Amino acid sequence: MADVLDIDGGGEDFSVDEEGDLSDEHGERFHQDISSMEKRYQDSVQRLKERAKKRKGRGFDSDKAKDISQKYEPMAIDDNEVAIPQRSVEGWILFVTGVHEEAHEEDVRDKFEDFGQIKNLHVNLDRRTGFLKGYALVEYEQREEAQAAIDVLNGSDLLGQIIGVDWCFVKEPLK
Amino acid sequence: MAENKDFYLRYYVGHKGKFGHEFLEFEFRPDGKLRYANNSNYKNDTMIRKECCVNKKVMDELRRIIQDSEIIREDDSLWPQPDRIGRQELEIVMDDEHVSFTTSKIGSLADINNSKDPEGLRCFYYLVQDLKCLVFSLIGLNFKIKPI
Repeated sequence: MADVLDIDGGGEDFSVDEEGDLSDEHGERFHQDISSMEKRYQDSVQRLKERAKKRKGRGFDSDKAKDISQKYEPMAIDDNEVAIPQRSVEGWILFVTGVHEEAHEEDVRDKFEDFGQIKNLHVNLDRRTGFLKGYALVEYEQREEAQAAIDVLNGSDLLGQIIGVDWCFVKEPLK
Repeated sequence: MAENKDFYLRYYVGHKGKFGHEFLEFEFRPDGKLRYANNSNYKNDTMIRKECCVNKKVMDELRRIIQDSEIIREDDSLWPQPDRIGRQELEIVMDDEHVSFTTSKIGSLADINNSKDPEGLRCFYYLVQDLKCLVFSLIGLNFKIKPI
């Protein structure tokens, strides 16, 4: 199989790991390992790519198998939960959109800590401008705290902009 | 997700060296499945592979970030070719457009300014940083790992 990275035309002597990422046998094993679901996924992504009408870039020059399509370790799913949100390792994470670019982390914190102790808060910056990128991740320990924050803050105002608040992770892929 | 048109994104950065094939790769599928892989054999480190499903709001935000960047208008024909130092790939399908860009690693802003297409490469450089920032927050918080 063609590897994702093919810089030097094979001049170097790599140590091949257990999964045999760089070996040809691996390619065969890998294809046998694909579950029918994974196969359907890959087919759907392939169809999606084929539907595009405009193509650009050097990446079309070669058709490569992608390392990204191998085995992944999913989140352990808690079967007692029937609703959509997926618990993260240490708590419940919300995704906030529409955050004003000139807001401060403290503005976000002030709003969200009314619903429970915030375990983690990521308010990421736009690397080009240094202002906020416009989204934030907020983590609570309890699901009820997160749900209350969604119920009250989704569609509310932060520095003159309407923010959207919803679960960040879900159990099942979106339909 | 009826109003969501076609969307797919994959980013790869990596190189082969004395610690094997070291790379970082992530992928967002149209149904919200996010996959993340990070491999290094440095100090016998093993491959990290994670996947999770993000909600629609996250996908909408990702779309917005890409649209705002205007990366789809760019073209990689004048960008530095991948080399021994490394390779980056960015593949995006959005609605009826599909780009698949390939270039070398970008060490610094000086590399961009000295390139044949500084504006396009700068667009790529900042978009990649913003995408990594988002993915590291998602993966880092969900799985409690520190990417890189």
